[in-house]
Amino acid sequence: MKLLKKIIDINLSLSLKSWTVFYRNYTVWLKYYKPGIIGDILEPLLYLAALGLGIGTFIHNIDGISYIQYIVPGIIASSSMYAAAFESTFGAYTRMVTKGIYGAILITPVGIEDIVSGEILWGTAKAFMSGAAVLIIGTVFGWIISPFALLIPVVIILNGILFSSLSLLITSFSPSYDFFSYYFTIAISTMFLFSGVFYPVSSLPHLVKYFVYIMPLFYTVNIVRMLDEGRINTAVLLSYLSVIMLFALIFFYASVFFIRKRIIK
Amino acid sequence: MEENILSIKNLTKSFGETAALNNISFNINYGDFFGLIGPNGAGKSTLLKILYGIVVPDSGTINIKGLSFQSADYTKIKKIKYDLGVVPQDDNLDEDLTVYENLLIYSMYFGLPKKESSKRSDELLNFFNLNDKKFSKVADLSGGLRRRVMIARALINNPSLIILDEPTSGLDPEYRQNIWNKLKALNENGVTVLMSTHYMEEAEKLFKNMIILHRGNIVLRGKISDITLNKKSLEEIFLDIAKN
Repeated sequence: MKLLKKIIDINLSLSLKSWTVFYRNYTVWLKYYKPGIIGDILEPLLYLAALGLGIGTFIHNIDGISYIQYIVPGIIASSSMYAAAFESTFGAYTRMVTKGIYGAILITPVGIEDIVSGEILWGTAKAFMSGAAVLIIGTVFGWIISPFALLIPVVIILNGILFSSLSLLITSFSPSYDFFSYYFTIAISTMFLFSGVFYPVSSLPHLVKYFVYIMPLFYTVNIVRMLDEGRINTAVLLSYLSVIMLFALIFFYASVFFIRKRIIK
Repeated sequence: MEENILSIKNLTKSFGETAALNNISFNINYGDFFGLIGPNGAGKSTLLKILYGIVVPDSGTINIKGLSFQSADYTKIKKIKYDLGVVPQDDNLDEDLTVYENLLIYSMYFGLPKKESSKRSDELLNFFNLNDKKFSKVADLSGGLRRRVMIARALINNPSLIILDEPTSGLDPEYRQNIWNKLKALNENGVTVLMSTHYMEEAEKLFKNMIILHRGNIVLRGKISDITLNKKSLEEIFLDIAKN
């Protein structure tokens, strides 16, 4: 009850100050973006090429479309997940602990909630760059099927918010960089492999399927796939969007609470 | 107008079993150059961190320019910070940015318009003789220059109260003298200064009023002339306190 009261007590006076945190990160990124862009953009394209064009020659179609067309939505969602996760773990930890940037910001009128929302905005921007690159390549090569795909950028943004929030929450507990190995191995890689990026979840055993339903990436992959293929089920779409937003909201509040707990003594 | 820019009443803070501050009360007048001195672990940094919201007190009231807060009142603390300049003990300049970018980005946190922030940054670079380092990366500066940038950064919002936690610690005498001169000039221009130090020479040269903290308690307070009335030097008084 005490914990719940504290969570409710968090004073979320979100303001435009979040954009100043975003702008600080953007200014620094502009100085070093070239090596980083390889990981954010080139890596998902390599997955797409290797798996889509390689394994794709052995799999004629899934649900009536070519294998590469099938995996494009999954790669869009997973690449944005990875970009947000890397930025909001290694990047955020460096700013919070190694470089003491949060401490410097907090002596100004910018509060923890502004820092967290600024970091989430920044993680989302990185997620957007990565997801949008795959979407553009997919469109150029004709692997995107439906005009509903125009709405995919909105889902990438939501996915970015979701995984930046979750990753910041992990960062708030992390005692060192090594701790992130647990997160990336147990959570991120598991989601990447089991959320329906490469094959329909329906092919998994029943018990595993229930496990998949608690993975946030499953919902994003399915929404992106729905929009890409133009097979919209409004009820499913809305319920999945609600799940993503609920996850994001919970992780955001928890991040504010635990980062505050870590910094303010 | 109120006489006190800062008023602290019955401030208490413990970390686990250790009492860092024990029922501290004092006031600082507008325009004062107020010193906090005491040996390591006396509670100086804890007290200053409470003032700028990094540490939450267990009890007590703080009033800064008429705005009072008691504990984790984050909205009020945010409001107070608009008129506060802070130089923390640890160097936390943004090493990825240049000196000028540090000032500009910092001014954004205070919501300063772009035109005003570049004007203010140039004024501060000029005041701290940092013009030739404007586009240098902070990571390439010496300790003394970095400390000057930190003080310049703390003044970006034109605060009426500046809090400095051992700002000359570890600096050579030339840099220390330089910073003293700048702080004196600021104070003469109406900025109230609250500063901690464990250098007695610094305290004697700068402080108009001060408190001496020991194990979380105020053991002496007043003007240096009052404290040293019995002809003991401040250093001797300090050493006597540290021994007990």
